[in-house]
Amino acid sequence: MMSARAIAAGIAQGEIGTSEILEATLERIQRHDPALNCFTAVTAERARREAAAIDELRKTGAPLPPLAGVPYAVKNLFDIEGEVTLAGGKINEGNAPASADAALVRHMKQAGAILVGALNMDEHAYGFTTENTHYGPSRNPHDISHIAGGSSGGSAAAIAGGMVPITLGSDTNGSIRVPSSLCGIYGLKPTFGRLSRSGTFPFVHDLDHLGPFASCVDDLIMSYDAMQGSDAHDPCCAQKPAEMTNVDGIDVASLRIGILGGWFEHWAGAQAREAVQCVAAALKAERNIEFTLAEAARSAAFVITGAQGGALHRQNLIRQYDHYEPLSRDRLIAGSLIPSSWLLQAQRVRRTAYEEAMTLFERFDILIAPATPVPAPTIGSETIEINGETIAARPSMGILTQPISCIGLPVCTVPVWSGASLPIGVQLIAAPWREDLCLAVARQLEQSGISQFRLPPAFMDTDQ
Amino acid sequence: MDQTNLKTYVCSTLQLQGYALDEEQVHRVTTQFTRIEEMSRAMRDISLPLSIDPAAVFRP
Repeated sequence: MMSARAIAAGIAQGEIGTSEILEATLERIQRHDPALNCFTAVTAERARREAAAIDELRKTGAPLPPLAGVPYAVKNLFDIEGEVTLAGGKINEGNAPASADAALVRHMKQAGAILVGALNMDEHAYGFTTENTHYGPSRNPHDISHIAGGSSGGSAAAIAGGMVPITLGSDTNGSIRVPSSLCGIYGLKPTFGRLSRSGTFPFVHDLDHLGPFASCVDDLIMSYDAMQGSDAHDPCCAQKPAEMTNVDGIDVASLRIGILGGWFEHWAGAQAREAVQCVAAALKAERNIEFTLAEAARSAAFVITGAQGGALHRQNLIRQYDHYEPLSRDRLIAGSLIPSSWLLQAQRVRRTAYEEAMTLFERFDILIAPATPVPAPTIGSETIEINGETIAARPSMGILTQPISCIGLPVCTVPVWSGASLPIGVQLIAAPWREDLCLAVARQLEQSGISQFRLPPAFMDTDQ
Repeated sequence: MDQTNLKTYVCSTLQLQGYALDEEQVHRVTTQFTRIEEMSRAMRDISLPLSIDPAAVFRP
């Protein structure tokens, strides 16, 4: 699979055709998706229209936009004009098709990217595994008997399986970072409020973030930059101008980098610890920085998620309980019973944890932590074991991501292999609005070979 | 909180919220609510200064 940067450059220079790239992408999806179950819709007709428009533009000799001709796909909670927004739920199949594209899909279109489809997810984004009972599980390309992670599992597995160079997903508690970790790809969860969420199916208004996935850091940067910009239709979207990422201007060697200990060490399995050590050694990071409110922040995220997610679905759950995802419907109902005093306390704890984290950023530019406690479990696993403790698998895969998204910090997840057959991700965490630092460190790790995307042989094109 | 009190709370609030679930469903919801209750202990009783704002987003 070619990178987005290589595709855009090849098309701009007239070396390859937009239609040629698109048809090859559609053929790869047709060939590989039956094994992985990433796509819930392939928008071939729309994609051919968009590709033709790029070809027409090229013929005029006008400069092409930055992602001209680059195929991409979106988690099926993004509105796509003319398609029903499923958000992973069978209950939504009867809804009217979206009347317009989501804001980020519009941004990607303006940047010249070609939308090829919608991707599988946990129902209503409530899960870390993409074991969707209605649409089937998305499978991990590195071993299809293992989960892809979630809730943006289709988005991550589509990249890891080499079907498209860029996908979009959402992250409320870890849903970009967990599947990135388990599938061995790069994922960016920007600062809360950086990217507009308008035109997407919400889960938890106070915690929902959107962001891109890619097989290399350059593609992550290109897609992230294409989607920036304020949006009055999303009340959480920051009213600040786009800040184009310039990683070349950042001297990574001069950054102060610390390793989060405590909670993040306690809940890291052997491979996760090894991955963090590997990254830390390469970056000469300082050890064991304590974020004392990490557990409280995770608890606050759990309560806010339960209360807001439960409240959002209460009326439909009362009427249509049987049509909801069996793996999460009882958790949603339980969330709708949370006392308001717990929710308000959780929101205040969130603010307190944020203030503690800001004191850490007086001493550090980047904080490192594992993205998941363990690599991908097999599909259907009920429990995982972390350092001798057995805990429930489905709610616990985000144990190391929740404290960070709860306080809205930007994070880039990078894949590390450590000699294992399955990858695991490391979170590179920065102060609010410093996505550029996360991305600069990620690119350095990629260039030095510490972090690496590996396309599994079964998903390689015949000419690779 | 003991299990009997939790189950009583869950049954009462389910009714208050308008759910009509069978016994098995109530049992599963109680299991989930027990997990939330356990999880919430890590932040429920932290003493916070009055100045800490819950930071709701409503902007008229």
